[in-house]
Order: sequence, then structure tokens, then C-alpha cells
Amino acid sequence: MSLRQSPLRAEHEELGAKLVEFGGWEMPLSYPTGTLAEHLTCRRAAVVFDVSHLGTVLLAGAGTYELLQETFTNDLSKIGPGRAQYTHLLDESGSVVDDCIIWWLNEATFEVMPNASNTASVRDAIGGEDTTATRAIIAVQGPTAREVVARIAPDAAAVAHFGVARFAYHGVECVVAGTGYTGEDGVECAVPAGAAPGFFRDVVAAGAIPAGLGARDTLRLEAGLPLHGHELGPGITPVQAGLNWVVAWNKPAFRGKTALEAERAAGITRRLRGLLSASRRVPRAKDRCLVGGTEVGVVTSGNFSPVLERGIALAFLPPGIADGSEVEVDVRGSAVSTSVVKPPFERLAGLTPH
Amino acid sequence: MNAPEELHYTPDHEWVRAEEGGARIGITDFAQDALGDVVYVQLPTVGTTVAKGDTIGEIESTKSVSEVYAPLSGEIVAVNSDLAAAPQHLNEDPYGEGWICAIAASAPDELESLLNAEKYRELTAT
Repeated sequence: MSLRQSPLRAEHEELGAKLVEFGGWEMPLSYPTGTLAEHLTCRRAAVVFDVSHLGTVLLAGAGTYELLQETFTNDLSKIGPGRAQYTHLLDESGSVVDDCIIWWLNEATFEVMPNASNTASVRDAIGGEDTTATRAIIAVQGPTAREVVARIAPDAAAVAHFGVARFAYHGVECVVAGTGYTGEDGVECAVPAGAAPGFFRDVVAAGAIPAGLGARDTLRLEAGLPLHGHELGPGITPVQAGLNWVVAWNKPAFRGKTALEAERAAGITRRLRGLLSASRRVPRAKDRCLVGGTEVGVVTSGNFSPVLERGIALAFLPPGIADGSEVEVDVRGSAVSTSVVKPPFERLAGLTPH
Repeated sequence: MNAPEELHYTPDHEWVRAEEGGARIGITDFAQDALGDVVYVQLPTVGTTVAKGDTIGEIESTKSVSEVYAPLSGEIVAVNSDLAAAPQHLNEDPYGEGWICAIAASAPDELESLLNAEKYRELTAT
């Protein structure tokens, strides 16, 4: 099967990006600036990501609101048209089939944005029209992201945090949301495929440096944000992942609610926690976690924190383990000392001299 | 990719610089580019005796982990301890400040089994 290509493919090649397969797409891993510089630029200024591999499923018409309410875990009645919401799709066992952002465009029009490899599963659950191929998603993230976007599209830059709005770019209708996946402020713009290369070039010219999936992963990990296939997936419930706030327990029904209530009543057997390495050594996904020589859990994601200059990880551990506890991670046969911390990790900068 | 003429190379993308009494080793420009930003280097211990092909260290990048193999048999006589605090030298200057260790070769003939620059460039040509 050939890999799907972003409308921005030619731009990435021209910029010298290293391309990799991700969720059936060929996307930039990094640019010649490198993952670490891209990461730190996002924490200090602004970067631009091509995240066109995210899915878009368009649903409109009478009954759409009710369908989404009965299907997803979060509660759309807490927001309204012109707002975005993070939510989960579960199966009947309570496992997270996908974590999505819903853009509520107007009264009865919604765009559901699944992870690349889960778009088909989400459409199986809710139907709708897959409009992924018609647009690029261009995310501008970082403390100066809005300043950069304001230079080329002031209307887009003005969108509220978790707001959704339409804006015109040189006469082309686009959508912007005040969302992201980095722990920084920023916007994500859905731009029709034909206009996307121009928009992307203009964002770069306005001062955002291009960043790839390598930096996107280290940024989301440093911010303590889950990635489906690692922190969420088969056998993992939102409660285990520490995402109770995504579950609207008081809604009459949503898929997986019965199983989730049973788990909550019985008590969870593991919970997602943060681990901070005492050194630059990096725990990796599937590494074993030990306390006093006994295996207690497993790493779901691990990498280097460019802000802390130490290894960091997310791991499933017994629910009772206290913050500050020492956990040893078996990294390919050598013991790496870590301590249990509360993400986001980047907030620990300055608090943890080493 | 840059592959200096005077060095010897292995198919595992390491370079070897013949020196008085032994050899200095590191990873090639091709290797550092493929790894991406290096964040941690596990160095061998000075005084360790190694056989050609032994795993003597580990290089971690934001993307992956790869092992360092002994390109020659002998004894580790020096390591680049600057890499502990500055692993980025492997990316910035792979043939200079990014050197990994020095080996006193016990079988200097093994040098002849390595690739010359021309052969290594052929190996990495895309």
C-alpha cells in the first residue's frame, strides 16, 4: 500500500525534511534544524507543524448533536457552536478506540478529528463524510504563535483558546481552532489543499520555523499528553490514563459507560504516571518498572526532555504509589533511577537542579 | 555525506583513525545524520579488553538507540568524557570533537579489513 501524502509534500522536500511513515502517511520527522532546536523553539517562540495526517470527519444535520453525545465520553452541552472539545471514543469494554478533538462549527455542523490510523474506526462508529484529503491542517504553536499568525491572518490569530472560527485567506475559506498538542498556546488551521502550500510558506516567512513529528512527540511527552497506541488503546480506559475529566459521568449514556462505571466502582489497578530520570538516560516504551527489585509497571512512552535535559517517561504504575517515589527502569538491561512526578514535565524546569 | 579520505570505515558506519599505537574511533557523518539529535552516549570503560565486533557503547537520539561496536580488537585506552555533558558533538563534529574512544590495537592487521573512504562512500550512496 502506498503512503498517503500531505498537500505540503513539495514544501517539505524543498525545506530538506526527513520524511517517515506515520499512521499510513509519509510526513516530516524533522527539518535540517533538528528535533531539539525545533522543540526548544516551540517552547520559546513559534514553530509550524504539518499535521494533515489527522483525520477530518464532517457530520451535519438534525440528530448529529445527539449522535455525538451518545457516542463520545465528553459532554458537548458544556460548550456550544464555535468551540472545540477533546473527547474519547470507547468500545463496550471501556478501552479507548480513539481520542479526538471535535470542532463545533455551527448549530448542526461538526468536524471530528481522529488520529490518522483511527479515522476508519471513528467513521464506523459515527458515519459522516471523510474530508481529510480536501485540506491540510497547519498547526502554529508556541508563545509567539499568535503574533506570527497575526502578521498574515489576523482573524485566525484572534481565535479564543479552544475556540473555532472560519476565516478567509486571500479569499479562500479556512477554519481555525485554538488547539494544539504541545503544551503551548497556538492555533490549528484547516486550509483547503490548493491554498495550503501558500499558507504554509507565508507562516514560515512570518517567523515560525517548521517542526516535524520528532519534536511533536517530545513536546507532547514533555507536556504529559497521551498518544493513542501508547497511553491510550486496547485494554486502556480513560480512568487508567488519568483522564477522568474527559468522561461526563452524568450523561445518561455513552459507549463504554457501563464498563467504565464498573471499573470506577471496583477501583483501578494501574494509573498513568510521570517518571523523571536522574540522568540523561532515556526510558523507552515497554521498558519494565521496578520497585525494590519487584516489577510494578511498564513505560508507555519515554524520551529526552530538551527543557530538563533529562530522560522522561509516562508509565503505568500501581495507583497507590506516591509522587517522589523512586522507581527503577530496566533500560535494555541497565537500571536507570527515576522518580515519580506529576506532568507536565516542563513545569519542573528550575525546580530540579542536576 | 562527508567521509574524510584518510580514515578507515566499517559497514556499521563507524570511522577509525590510525594513530601511534592504536586507533581513535567514532561514528560517521552519515550515521549522525541518520540518528538525528544525539542526547546520550554510553562510553566504554578505560582498561576494558575488547574483541572486534563487541558492543562497547550506546548512542541515544530523540529518535532511536544504536550500539557502538569495536571496529578492532584491543584495549580501550581513552574515552571522550566530554560527551557526557555535550553529546551534541557527535552531530556537530563527528570526525573531531565527537570522537568516542581510543583503542590500543592487539591485532593491527584488522585495520586492513576495514573499508577505505571510497568504498564507504559507495556503501552510503543513495
